[in-house]
Amino acid sequence: MEGLIFSVKRYSVHDGPGIRVTFFMKGCPLSCRWCHNPEGISPLEEEVIQKERVGDNEFSRTETVGKYYAVEEILNILEREDPFIKESKGGVTFSGGEPMLQNRFLLEVLKSCKLKGYNTAVDTSGYSSSDNYRSIIPFTDLFLYDIKHLDDTKHIEYTGVSNIRILENYRMILASGPDVMIRIPVIPGFNDDDDHLLRLKQFIISTKSGALKRINLLPFHKIGSSKYKNFS
Amino acid sequence: MKRAKAFEYLLRNKKICINEGELIVGERGPAPKETPTYPEISLHSLQDLEILNSREKVYFKVDEEVKNIYENEIIPYWKGKSNRDRIMGMMTPEWIRAYNAGIFTEFQEQRAPGHTVLGCRMFKTGFVKLKEEIQESVSGLDFYYDNQALEKFEELKAMNIACDAIIMFANRHADELDRLSEKEKNPSRKRELAAMAKVCRRVPAYAPETVHEMLQHYWFIHVGVISELNPWDSFNPGRLDQHLYPVYKKEMEADLLSTEELDDLLGCFWVKFNNHPSPPKIGVTASESNTYTDFCLINLGGVKPDGTDAVNDMSYILLDVIKEMRILQPGSMIQVSRKSPDRFIHKALDIIKTGFGQPSCFNTEAIIQELLRQGKNITDARNGGASGCVETGAFGTEAYWLSGYFNLPKVLELTLNNGFDKRTNQQVGLKSGYAKDFGTFEELVEAFRLQVKYLIDIKIRGNNVIEKIFANWLPVPFLSLLVGDCIPNGKDYNAGGSRYNTTYIQGVGLGSITDMLTSIRYNIYDNHKFSWAEFSIALDSDYKGFEQMQYELIYNTPKYGNDDDYADQQALTVFEIYYDAVNGRPNARGGNHRINMLPTTSHVYFGSVTGATPDGRKAYKPLSEGISPSQGVDKQGPTSVIKSASKIDHLRTGGTLLNQKFTPQFFEDEESYNHLTSLIRSYFSLDGHHIQFNVVNAETLKEAQKHPELYRDLIVRVAGYSDYFNDLGEDLQNEIIARTEQGVSSWN
Repeated sequence: MEGLIFSVKRYSVHDGPGIRVTFFMKGCPLSCRWCHNPEGISPLEEEVIQKERVGDNEFSRTETVGKYYAVEEILNILEREDPFIKESKGGVTFSGGEPMLQNRFLLEVLKSCKLKGYNTAVDTSGYSSSDNYRSIIPFTDLFLYDIKHLDDTKHIEYTGVSNIRILENYRMILASGPDVMIRIPVIPGFNDDDDHLLRLKQFIISTKSGALKRINLLPFHKIGSSKYKNFS
Repeated sequence: MKRAKAFEYLLRNKKICINEGELIVGERGPAPKETPTYPEISLHSLQDLEILNSREKVYFKVDEEVKNIYENEIIPYWKGKSNRDRIMGMMTPEWIRAYNAGIFTEFQEQRAPGHTVLGCRMFKTGFVKLKEEIQESVSGLDFYYDNQALEKFEELKAMNIACDAIIMFANRHADELDRLSEKEKNPSRKRELAAMAKVCRRVPAYAPETVHEMLQHYWFIHVGVISELNPWDSFNPGRLDQHLYPVYKKEMEADLLSTEELDDLLGCFWVKFNNHPSPPKIGVTASESNTYTDFCLINLGGVKPDGTDAVNDMSYILLDVIKEMRILQPGSMIQVSRKSPDRFIHKALDIIKTGFGQPSCFNTEAIIQELLRQGKNITDARNGGASGCVETGAFGTEAYWLSGYFNLPKVLELTLNNGFDKRTNQQVGLKSGYAKDFGTFEELVEAFRLQVKYLIDIKIRGNNVIEKIFANWLPVPFLSLLVGDCIPNGKDYNAGGSRYNTTYIQGVGLGSITDMLTSIRYNIYDNHKFSWAEFSIALDSDYKGFEQMQYELIYNTPKYGNDDDYADQQALTVFEIYYDAVNGRPNARGGNHRINMLPTTSHVYFGSVTGATPDGRKAYKPLSEGISPSQGVDKQGPTSVIKSASKIDHLRTGGTLLNQKFTPQFFEDEESYNHLTSLIRSYFSLDGHHIQFNVVNAETLKEAQKHPELYRDLIVRVAGYSDYFNDLGEDLQNEIIARTEQGVSSWN
């Protein structure tokens, strides 16, 4: 069983506790207007032209975005990072794109990671079936969960999908055991008006459980460079 | 005896300089930032003086009076008689060819060896006591059976003169301070000067009992060492937090010292280091160490002689001083042991994140194991640390001389060309064949191994002669007082009187040569992408007309620094070859040669004499520094760099240097401090020796190049030391900019 991954990031320090390795899985059912990882949207391998410079000369070559990894390969990569993961009490994070699009592979690899004793995290939009989430919950220590907008209409307008199951899954996961960290991308003109922020706050408070560990506000500027603010 | 008397003469006649408002006294020259020259070591010509005066970087103003004295007195007397002349006159033609080709440098051609640090004994001992010890040693001389007895007697006599000289020097300061105190109108300064005079009458004759006394005691010793000769790495108080803590604690508990007074004393002490530039360097010595800094590296933390955590209140106080003073000298580092608290590391990160370039981070457990492997006892090992850039030493008991840098990539260049150096048009190496003659990669590596051995033999032969030259002509009776066991041995520091005597040859360019060998193996032998014929032409043409090939070599060839075993394998190959050639070879002082891997600025000089190389590097560009990856090729982040750097066996060296560039974003909050602390501890758990962080945007550096006048305070980490960015040559500036910035964009 293999998963299509478009990026592997080591010394990943913003995707869960400690020093982690984050695997970015290719394919996403959303099409958020502010997406700064567009190469993660299509679930297929893609060719891009990579331009590189040597002095005044420019060279191009085609590169494939997206590579298939077997579970074994994932574990090998993690093992090589063990000194840092152990020292920092870090672990592995599956992000993307939307990792739940490859949920069968995700389940396999999470199981294997847990068997090896790794702390596991899944960074998800919440847009998948609750059954899918239920199957991976026993092997996931932490969910990094996006909450973008409480209004379904607005949500569809800016991401292409409804938020109904996203919010349902959120409540379900909060009650099921794993830790949860919410991420709210703050997009000017979309979800940053005072009224919405207040409702968000109320929503979070009313649904809160001991599993909720942190809320990250990600103010998005033009280029998608993010600055994390902690508010809890 | 002559040297001792010269020392005494110097200290008797040196201008006493008391600067306004200072609390600790004693200057290298007649005023701050002034430095003497040492014509007996190396004679500057009038042309040299002109170069010093007018060169853009690391310049020294030379006034007419100095030029006249040089022209009329110094040059006529010393011409042909300086130690440098002696050294060069006794080197073999092979050595001279290799030296001129840039295979290695010679540390002792313009400076005395030095390379030692004051240990705990001398912080608790005055020179009056040393005179007693000398007397004891003299009484113990056996003129019946010891055929060295007379030499020892002479040496001990000289040491005795040196003791009197330093006490006299301190008293001269005391006299001047009393005189100034008399004249002083301001009552508080008047009291201060009188107190300072009192301190100067007590130390260094007697053991210091207060913080003020200890700092002044050390400083007189320091000025003594750098006046006697111009040793490398000036001198160094070593484990300063350990030495100061007992007297500090006593004074505070007795309410005799306020925090304000302590602050003032330490600040003044810091200024003393910053006042002294290293003595002027010319030519190769200037290129390999292109800086004003004289490499004093204060150690904080580590473990105590009994092995327990040594971090104390003074460690934190000194970190505050470093942060507040923010001046170029002294350098500083933290010794991180498994037992050091995270809080200690975090406090250092507070300073590192401001981009100051210090303190750097060292691995106590690695240092101790390195010293134990070399045969030191456990107490001496635990009392040790690192000095200069990253060199490991047993403080107070070891003379660990650096003898010169060794240009590993250049040796590979020779290996491809039958040992012939095209730049100097000389047969410098062995005739071990041409590139095209090597049918397999292993044959090439074997030829490289033979070349390394041949050239190291030349270097070591030279070292052993040069060490004897210093022993015979330039003994250092004053320095010998300070390092155990010269007094009981009756033997000079430069003749091997210390308990431990080590000689280092510093290997340069590990990242570069690893990439070069990997490239050859990958592109020529394993994948047959190029033939030696086209490759050789490409190298000779500096890749002009071979841009596609250069692109392949840079972008499509495995590189060191990415935790890629295929590439990193060659680092191990080179390491073992270098280690085998050097380690354990006897020196001329009863000790051994060892390896370490640091460049100071020699990676720029060595690059400037090396043509285009198989890793895609253009001719005469800088080489990689320390054991860091070649500039810009590490694309997998800091954990991969650390994994690559950990593969060589640090514990069999006397120090390695790893530089990592971070943008300030990596230091933004408490959590990121935890991550960086984990990064450091992980590297150290893999036996890494040292890591330092350069925190600054590439944008900022580029701006500083364009508008140096706006960035006069910009200090960056070079290679084991920090320096003003503006003082660096343009090549080195560009090299630092190119060093991979571990920003989010570069490896996300």
